[in-house]
Amino acid sequence: MQTTVINKKRNSFIEIINKFTNAMGVWFVVVLFFIILSLTTDTFLSYANLINVVRQICVNAMVALGAAYVILGGEIDLSTGNMCALTGCGAALLMVAGVNMWVAIVIVLIVGSLIGALTGVVITFLKIPSFIASLGMSYVILGATLLLTNSEPISGLPAQFMTFGRGYIADVIPVPVIILIVFFAFGAFFLKYTSFGRSVISVGENPVAARLSGIDVLTSKILIFAIGGFTASAAGIVLASRLSSGQPMAGGDIGLTAIAAVFVGGTEKGSAMNVLAGAFVLGLVNNGLNLLEVNAYWQKVALGLIIILAVLLDQIRASRAVSVRKKANS
Amino acid sequence: MQGDGNNILSLKQVCKEFPGVKALNNVDFTLRKGEVHALVGENGAGKSTLMKILSGAYTKDRGIIEFDGKEVEITSPKASEKMGIAIIYQELNLINRISVAENVFLGRAPRKHGVIQWKKMYKDAKALFNSFDIEMDVTKCARDFSIAQQQIIEIIKAVSINAKVVIMDEPTSSLTENETKILFRIIKSLKDKGIAVIFITHRLDEVFEISDRLTVLRDGCFIGTKEVKDITKSDLIKMMIGRELKQQFPQRNVQIGEECFRVEHVSDGNKIKDVSFCVRKGEVLGFAGLVGAGRTETMRLIFGADKRTSGKIFINNKEVQIKQPKQSVGEKVGFVTENRKEEGLFLKLPVRNNIVAVAIDKIKSFKILNFNIERSFCDKYVQELKINTPSINQAVVFLSGGNQQKVVLAKWLLSDSEVMILDEPTRGIDVGAKREIFEIINKLAAQGKAIIFISSEMEEILGVSDRIIVMHEGKISGEVTKENFSERIITEYAFGGA
Repeated sequence: MQTTVINKKRNSFIEIINKFTNAMGVWFVVVLFFIILSLTTDTFLSYANLINVVRQICVNAMVALGAAYVILGGEIDLSTGNMCALTGCGAALLMVAGVNMWVAIVIVLIVGSLIGALTGVVITFLKIPSFIASLGMSYVILGATLLLTNSEPISGLPAQFMTFGRGYIADVIPVPVIILIVFFAFGAFFLKYTSFGRSVISVGENPVAARLSGIDVLTSKILIFAIGGFTASAAGIVLASRLSSGQPMAGGDIGLTAIAAVFVGGTEKGSAMNVLAGAFVLGLVNNGLNLLEVNAYWQKVALGLIIILAVLLDQIRASRAVSVRKKANS
Repeated sequence: MQGDGNNILSLKQVCKEFPGVKALNNVDFTLRKGEVHALVGENGAGKSTLMKILSGAYTKDRGIIEFDGKEVEITSPKASEKMGIAIIYQELNLINRISVAENVFLGRAPRKHGVIQWKKMYKDAKALFNSFDIEMDVTKCARDFSIAQQQIIEIIKAVSINAKVVIMDEPTSSLTENETKILFRIIKSLKDKGIAVIFITHRLDEVFEISDRLTVLRDGCFIGTKEVKDITKSDLIKMMIGRELKQQFPQRNVQIGEECFRVEHVSDGNKIKDVSFCVRKGEVLGFAGLVGAGRTETMRLIFGADKRTSGKIFINNKEVQIKQPKQSVGEKVGFVTENRKEEGLFLKLPVRNNIVAVAIDKIKSFKILNFNIERSFCDKYVQELKINTPSINQAVVFLSGGNQQKVVLAKWLLSDSEVMILDEPTRGIDVGAKREIFEIINKLAAQGKAIIFISSEMEEILGVSDRIIVMHEGKISGEVTKENFSERIITEYAFGGA
């Protein structure tokens, strides 16, 4: 009797610790990096640098939010980077052609979402694995961008458009940060408080059981890709605004960094806030290495290792939690 | 016990125990050179365990195995193969993308200086098939052949590795009549070459057609070995049944109401043929049959999980369209599948998510999920079904089998299912949890729900059902009402009727 009481106490203690690390793990790393960088560099804590960091993170984090839906739903989308470039250039072309800025933005958001949905259709109805399907779509999107732009940057955008990437609210808070907060507020809400969010998580965990529970697996899958396309399109607009032009080759590794941010944040918890933390970790690493004047090529190596290390730590923590609970149960 | 040199294989007092089950209990078995020996018994009689011991997949706990007059220990599949025992499984083990000849000579292709001698390999393979009077293009890929032909390729391969004993596990279950004839011809030529065949089948007619002797197992015990010519089919069924009924089932006093679910002429164009039945409110309709008789497949067709080519479904005498599981959920039909881990649960997700997975709309207020409502529903079912979990936030993967099954049940109860299909709901759970599941079934019946209960355990199906439908090879082979319940009649129907 006595021992079970003690066991129960210990269990609840472990549960609290687990809960804490589950919810806070990545944020803890963010804070840690923040402190380290504040102490080791003079420039990190300057207003200019912090604003710079946050602005860089915005685009990646927005793409990562969509990628999180896709990954939680058990798929992957490699095409989001090129999607950013396409929508940035698309919006630029429309505006240069004289289309109203807001109309242009709405058009590219719709087009981006539809292209995402199309990727979803290829995956669900043609039954092509998402890795391959989205890789294919990625090239199609890149090709389309190059065709539209003739591989040249589109500049001469209205001054008003620059607000999204470069503007400030009350001269202090950058506009992209506001956009980011709005996106994550909605993203987190949909994931947690709607039945759609639940179906995404269920479908990702076990599509067979989901289907037999009456969940519309195909629609859920198509929708997550549409969401991925939507957030990538929005990120593309912010990016074009920051660069004051539509850059056909701007996609680069944005898509892959976004996927990395999702995994660094830890996917299994299904929390949008963890994804944001993941994006922050990557952003801080990037900025910190810059400030520490680490060779740019070595930075890439370091980034890669950190991604692997982050996921490894997450796995070790998860498997330790399993063994603790197994012991507690037996 | 004969100790003569006619026996190629003999087992004496072989035992095998698994936690909680005596899978084989002092089993004796002898196999003569060049005979076809049928191994028969109901589900769970111990046939597969015996076969796995001979193949080296399991090791025996006690007893003696003699092969060709010498005592042997079969420690691994490799040892078994080396000795000369070959097994043809139901799932064939050929490699699809390489040629027949390569499959036959897998790992032992003729070589010269390390280079494969393709011409010689094809010639040898062809000669091998010709020696059994079979014409076969040995250069074609294995996947280009029918199941029956693939089976023959496996047999020939086994013989070429010098097998002295060939064990076939339900080899005819997926063959047409004509293909079966060809298989039997090959079995006869194996016999002529002095190779002994152990033939496991659920088709009693085949036992009489092809075997010389037969051995009956029941509940892991050896019942007897007989010369086939000395026994009739009804004697054989008598030997297979008669298991002790020791489990107690909770009493149920339910007034059975009117019909609420009817299925007419359901087929899938392949295995399931023209299945019709109905269930009434408060009734537990048992589905008996051998494993593989098509009960699960039938339920999947009814639930909309697989596509049916014909058939109608009526709920309360009104025809309903069910083509997707989504639709059956909408019609308040619930399906507790036989593989709860693969098809029923979201293992890594908490109990909470699992319970509300179907009836998610019930926990919404103003279109938004309300976690208080969710908690109160989950707490209710955790209490009612006595789900043993530290909290509703625990991932179900950490629960025991019985508790996992209760989570699946809770999922369908929360969705107010009026018709519940329970496919082997007690599989892999302990005795105490089984009894609790039966009590839940009684409670559901008392609430006027119609229950379709599939079980391969004779005791269970007799103890729990109000009426039993028996399936055999994709068709309904019989229906038994409560006053006529007996193990004998169910077994007869399960084997396709006497």
